[in-house]
Amino acid sequence: MKDLVRQKLSIHVEVMDMLNKQIEKEAHSSSAYLAMASWCDHNALSYSAQFFYDQSLEERGHMMKIFRFVNDNGGTAYSPEVKNVIHDFKSLEEIYETALDQEISITQSIHNIVQKCRKLNDFTTENFLQWFVKEQMEEEQMMRRALELFDLMGTDGLGLKLLDERIPQIRESNLPD
Amino acid sequence: MKVLHQAQHFTAYQCDHSRAFVIDFGHKQVTFTFCQFLAFRHQVKNIDLSKHFSGENKHGFEIMVLCNRKHIFIFNTHECIALKDLLKGSFTMLELNSVLAASL
Ligand SMILES: [Fe+2]
Ligand SMILES: [Fe+2]
Repeated sequence: MKDLVRQKLSIHVEVMDMLNKQIEKEAHSSSAYLAMASWCDHNALSYSAQFFYDQSLEERGHMMKIFRFVNDNGGTAYSPEVKNVIHDFKSLEEIYETALDQEISITQSIHNIVQKCRKLNDFTTENFLQWFVKEQMEEEQMMRRALELFDLMGTDGLGLKLLDERIPQIRESNLPD
Repeated sequence: MKVLHQAQHFTAYQCDHSRAFVIDFGHKQVTFTFCQFLAFRHQVKNIDLSKHFSGENKHGFEIMVLCNRKHIFIFNTHECIALKDLLKGSFTMLELNSVLAASL
């Protein structure tokens, strides 16, 4: 019997399913960050708002990267439905903590797919995912830098405003060498 | 045509000659390209059988449109269970075949 699947698809079917799940997760991240941006905007924390607007776009970029990869390799990518987006937060600190938790769970999920690729000898996808492994490491570090600001600075009165102004500096590109 | 998997009511085949997949639904045979076969698998995977038993899906039917809207099917709970078995079994068979082909 001919291997028709391999003729059409250069990635593994099970891996393709996991990538589609990952597409949903990236889309959810994008929406979650958008909700955080909105909260920050309403609470006059404009630097954090901008930070999350940018993050939201980045997550959409991640989603599209995987989406195209699945389709380019003969699979079918499914446009995700996004549900359960949280809009209520009690503080800016809680937002950054939630953001870090979210990134950690995305890292875990990427690692799970890499693990699956190794098990199934899907080197194409494993190689593709290496970019995400590195990206996740950077994203986690960035969120930790945000939380460090809370440890260093007070959030009473003007403190929160000053902290917000420091937010652009947590981006890798804005760090001193 | 080679049998991929036989479930209750339905049988799936692979046709090497036309590089396509065929499902015999009993009263009708439908040919799928690989993409369409993947799409059908997705639809079947998304059938929530628990809704058939919780009463949420009152009539117990699933309406499915296949192959760029060329075909429409109505499946009852029994048939939905059989479809899940059919697609699962077929893709397992295809995977085995890939492993075999790669080792030759
Ligand atoms: Fe991401
Ligand atoms: Fe991220």
